[in-house]
Amino acid sequence: MSGLLNILNNGGSCGSGDSSSHACGSGGSCGSCHDDSSASRREFLAQASTMMLGGFSLSLLPMKPDGAGAGGSTEEVMYGFLVDTERCIGAGKCLTACRTENNVPEGYARTWVERFVHYKDGRVEVDLVPETGYEGSGVPEIDPETVDRAYFVPKLCNQCTDAPCNQVCPVHASFKSPEGVELVDPDTCIGCAYCVQACPYGVRFINPDTGNADKCTWCYHRIVKNEQPACVEACPVNARVFGRLDDPNSEIRQRLAKVPTSVLKEYLGTHPRLHYIGLPQEVT
Amino acid sequence: MSGGLMFSRHTRHLWIAFFLIASGAAGGAFVRSQLVPSDFGELGPYRTVAIAKNAALPMVHQSDQTCIKCHTDVHEARAESPHQAVACRHCHGHGAQHVAEATRAAENPGSPITPAQEWDGSFGTSVDLFVTKDRATCLACHTSVVGMPESFRSINVAAHLEEQGAENVNAKDVCFECHDGHSPGL
Amino acid sequence: MDGSSFVFPNDVHPPWSIMIVLYPYITGLVAGAFVVSALYHVFHQEVLRPVAKLALVTALCFCACATMPLLLHLHHPERAFNIMITPSATSAMSGFGVIYNLYMLLLVVEVWLVFRPEIIAESQSATGLKKVLFKVLALGDSQVTPESREVDERLIYRLAIIGIPAACVLHGYVGFLFGAVKANPWWSTALMPIIFLASAVLSGIAGLLVLYHFLCWRNQVTPDRDCVRAMGRYLWISLIVAVTLEGLELIHMAYEAGAEWHVLSQLLTQKLAFSYGVIQVLLGSVCPFLLLALAMSSRLKDRTALWLNSIAAVLVLVQVFAMRWNVVVGGQMFSRSFRGFVHYPLHIGGREGLIAGGIVLLLPLAVLWVALNLLPVKLTNTPESLPTES
Repeated sequence: MSGLLNILNNGGSCGSGDSSSHACGSGGSCGSCHDDSSASRREFLAQASTMMLGGFSLSLLPMKPDGAGAGGSTEEVMYGFLVDTERCIGAGKCLTACRTENNVPEGYARTWVERFVHYKDGRVEVDLVPETGYEGSGVPEIDPETVDRAYFVPKLCNQCTDAPCNQVCPVHASFKSPEGVELVDPDTCIGCAYCVQACPYGVRFINPDTGNADKCTWCYHRIVKNEQPACVEACPVNARVFGRLDDPNSEIRQRLAKVPTSVLKEYLGTHPRLHYIGLPQEVT
Repeated sequence: MSGGLMFSRHTRHLWIAFFLIASGAAGGAFVRSQLVPSDFGELGPYRTVAIAKNAALPMVHQSDQTCIKCHTDVHEARAESPHQAVACRHCHGHGAQHVAEATRAAENPGSPITPAQEWDGSFGTSVDLFVTKDRATCLACHTSVVGMPESFRSINVAAHLEEQGAENVNAKDVCFECHDGHSPGL
Repeated sequence: MDGSSFVFPNDVHPPWSIMIVLYPYITGLVAGAFVVSALYHVFHQEVLRPVAKLALVTALCFCACATMPLLLHLHHPERAFNIMITPSATSAMSGFGVIYNLYMLLLVVEVWLVFRPEIIAESQSATGLKKVLFKVLALGDSQVTPESREVDERLIYRLAIIGIPAACVLHGYVGFLFGAVKANPWWSTALMPIIFLASAVLSGIAGLLVLYHFLCWRNQVTPDRDCVRAMGRYLWISLIVAVTLEGLELIHMAYEAGAEWHVLSQLLTQKLAFSYGVIQVLLGSVCPFLLLALAMSSRLKDRTALWLNSIAAVLVLVQVFAMRWNVVVGGQMFSRSFRGFVHYPLHIGGREGLIAGGIVLLLPLAVLWVALNLLPVKLTNTPESLPTES
């Protein structure tokens, strides 16, 4: 029974899914929270069934301490990312920056850039921008006369609001930080790769060096220090914009407000926080 | 089941089995409760320390903010330039050693600062600092590639040099005859 | 797919190996074998008496080994218990902790109750370590009283009743694990759990039929004619149900021809042409369907019918394996770019290689061999001479 009380008292059931950084005291009631959104109901269901799954011993789970606790920010922070496909020049600077910054093993990628080429004969061909850029990479040149249009699409973690990778993780090793960044707990991941399967964007992989699920974190270790993600910092043409969605004056908010944007695979209902300018529908 | 049979020697084995299962389950539940990390669930269904572990990873790339602390002239030159967003390290190397030396020199005047080296042509982290005026650094971005937006100033090198009437088309620093790296202009 | 093929960089490494093919295959055999025992215990199909006990022991042995492929697959098997320490209520996979443990418990209790007379008899007559083992299992009893047997029988009946939905949940969840991955159009269908369930029952019956035939030959017992024919009929019906569902799923996908059908159709006609078209459909479905129909003819000699049924059962086992393969491997053969196919690597050695897979598949059979040596089951349809009858 105490398990149920725990759920009713838990501040988590007051904060809606993605803005859970505000906290209710553990002992106090949640009277001040009047959030009746589906997110909180979903969370309640999730917790109730966790209790059923975990058995009565789950009532021994530590309850939420006062405030937000150590490590988490008390203020509301929500990050967003904007990719401008109309600016990307396929230089590949972001790719080397990411690999070095995050020690990404060869053969795997936390970010990549796709090139879509629509030929005059109707073919659409896609290739990956080499990490050094096309210059001197040995990738055969395409005769511009045969091409109708072509463009680059940088890819990285979509940081979905309703992340399928988070949903399927059996051990809660995949989790969403209070700022909405999907992270992996390096000490509890069992390496089952279910999240790799669940990600519709192919962003995740099992890191052969660590055995853990690995993914783009929007350079969490940088952004918490108010630095830009390595790929954003490396981009010479500002095709990648990172910023705080909760700040109405941030560049990302300004640009999101002024131009039409879209997200990848919207039909899957993952609600990405990675937005695109000029994303043609043939991009998957 | 009649009351007499319920607790008799005929059902004793079932009660023992039930007791064994129940104590096994209770023991399992207890062990499990002891194994749940103490910081699990503080902020959400995860270990709080996992946030710190992700946040504590080393930051490899310094941002331009580090460079322009000293090189304010470059910062000003770039302010209105199309190269404003180009990270210093793309053309000058990551400069980790240089920053360390410069910081030391600021505290101890006279402390040596290694001069910029020759660029080895790679965009990796092999050369700490280079200021070589090499057209390869320009062409890494500006060589015309199918897929580039029309708004971007990409060139076909040979055609561009011919058009501009460059004298020594094979010179490494041919780009810099007309353009300034920080504020390339036209 | 127009033009060249394009694969997302991380999709080049399909993360689920043959171990993830074997896991549903083994749990399917568990669920299916249990259903056969339930047909006898709950639905009083007396004709299945010769295989009822064998079915239970088989289910237990396979269930005991079901974690092997998972542990071999995990990149951090040492952290496997996290699935029970901090389970996620939103993950089908973490349902494993609860469902598997409860099902295993149910099987252990059911087997223990069914074999209690034998256990107690052995605890008296056996020697050495075996005696110690059976003494422990007898829980201090030295004889089976008719009253206790009566209580046991009632409990066996009830556990068997609970066991049917439990078996459905066990295998339904395995199907859900794939069916609920919306990123993958080859998996993402609500039919997936039902398809897995149907083919689980199918594989269980087929496995038992083959096992029964083998054990009868090994112990030089004449296989029970009616039991074999009844199993053949059950197998035929299950095959029809399972194949209908599998076909329905494909037809539905093809008829709706959604955005990703252009990839899936190529997957079927190119990548899976052999393993789906030839193995799963022709060899595994059509052939046994005809063989089983033929075996139902009353004009056939018992021996011929037995062999027809057994051969059909072996083919059905191949069909179910192919079905698991086509789901698990097929689902990883195309990139989520939906613009290209992935080469699926098959390793021979290594933790997740074919040799390890073969061992994983043989392990439950080895355990079963040990179990049947400890607790021999009667393979004939003679009523048990138990105190219950007195």
